Amino acid sequence: MTETPAPGEKVYRHSIAARVTHWSWALAMLVLVMSGLQIFNAAPYLDASDKSDPAHRVLSFDAQTAPGGAPAGTTTLFGHRFTTTHVLGYTDDGMGGEEARAFPGAITLPAEQDLADGRVWHLFFGWVLTISIVIYLVAGAIRKDLRELILRPSDLPKLLPMQLYYFRLRKEPPPHGTYNPLQKAAYTVVLFVFVPLIVLTGLALSPGFDAITGPLIQLFGGRQFARTWHFTLMALLIGYFLTHMVLVFSTGAWNNLKSMVTGWYRLKDHDGVGV
Amino acid sequence: MKRRLFVASLTASGLVACGPVKSQLTTSLHDTLAGAENLNHAVLGTRGMAHLYSEADIDRDFRVNGLNTPTDTRYATAARDNFGGYRLVVDGLADKPQAFTLAELRALPLQTQITRHDCVEGWSAIGKWRGVPLATVLAMVQPQAGARYVFFHCFDKDDQGTEYYESLDLHEAAHPQTLLSLDLNDRALDYDHGAPVRLRVPTQLGYKSAKWVRRIELAAAFPAQSKGGYWEDQGYEWYAGI
Repeated sequence: MTETPAPGEKVYRHSIAARVTHWSWALAMLVLVMSGLQIFNAAPYLDASDKSDPAHRVLSFDAQTAPGGAPAGTTTLFGHRFTTTHVLGYTDDGMGGEEARAFPGAITLPAEQDLADGRVWHLFFGWVLTISIVIYLVAGAIRKDLRELILRPSDLPKLLPMQLYYFRLRKEPPPHGTYNPLQKAAYTVVLFVFVPLIVLTGLALSPGFDAITGPLIQLFGGRQFARTWHFTLMALLIGYFLTHMVLVFSTGAWNNLKSMVTGWYRLKDHDGVGV
Repeated sequence: MKRRLFVASLTASGLVACGPVKSQLTTSLHDTLAGAENLNHAVLGTRGMAHLYSEADIDRDFRVNGLNTPTDTRYATAARDNFGGYRLVVDGLADKPQAFTLAELRALPLQTQITRHDCVEGWSAIGKWRGVPLATVLAMVQPQAGARYVFFHCFDKDDQGTEYYESLDLHEAAHPQTLLSLDLNDRALDYDHGAPVRLRVPTQLGYKSAKWVRRIELAAAFPAQSKGGYWEDQGYEWYAGI
């Protein structure tokens, strides 16, 4: 086992715990985003304040009808107003028509406006996400494969060369372990910053949690600000997901996908094999 | 528990893929998903104290939401002469059921709290509430050993004539910040904000803070067909701490 596996050889990269929780996490994120947008629709605005306050409004969706005209949907971000009829603000009601609502039925769960059901989905899959992450981190810590994807100070000088390689401005990636420095940066931020924060800011919206944790919510700027952070973190995680998809599909989709199902990954040129 | 969660998530992925499948599957799936309420109740429960704000934080124009202000004869009669004929009936499983006038309630030790009202829809407002801790009134009527829940029957009705009601368990009811509020922002509650008595539960979402309370009933269990409240009967969680 001291010999380094060569390109073309298969290595066992993902433990059973990592594979199962990867997919349960993926499912949870999908349900949480869709049910979260459903919940958001009940109060389609975000404030940077503790209580609701139009003076601190960051984002809002509205519908209005000009006299004698058709209904229009608008999106207002940091005071800049955009017409977004049929897409946001006035859009698909999930039942074949259109109505005043922020996010369309095509991307909410359930499709029709139903806050109670949206909450039922959201509050269940919040647990699926939390339990998945805890199992993933504990199993990764026990098996010691977690440390292969945590960003270290020694990786920092390699971030720029790796980015240049991705931009094809450099022929070879900098030498690295199982994961390259940019992957490590992304996984570290997602696992240790984005996910814990999105769970905490979500919990901070609940009065029962706030009564227990006292000043925690003030760290987020109050309840409405926590709601704004919660939404922003969702947008960041969607950004991570899109990047993840681009890279999964541009670096050997079948090999990548198969390895996240069977655990076995076929090494390519330039792949690191562990430090 | 892990196994149940996993099985449920498989079922859920099937549902997402197939689109809306209306059948027993959705009912049993819904019940499984709604089971998270028990977990949330067990983990969060009613602990700690709601944050107390300062005068500067108060919303002077406190947002009005919920069912329409009642306009029927029953409420109009109670409202006559500044609610002079109003009685807050506290009965059910109590050894000393009582009917309190507003003057009698105001004569009890009052508590003032500036707390945040968190609506299930996602917005919040801050108000200054003054009233009688619910625990004080409950202690006066002496709940019987079999009493487990406190029901709040209200004057307001929806378009179908269904009355608003809410409930808390005795633990939540005894929380020191659970208030029968009489004043909002230094004035007697106005009609739209729930006059003359509004329940105030700052440790739970706004729909628990029932307006226009007319009767408080101690009970051993939920009535048949009831999920414990008006919104609960429409699919919202009974435990509204989250």
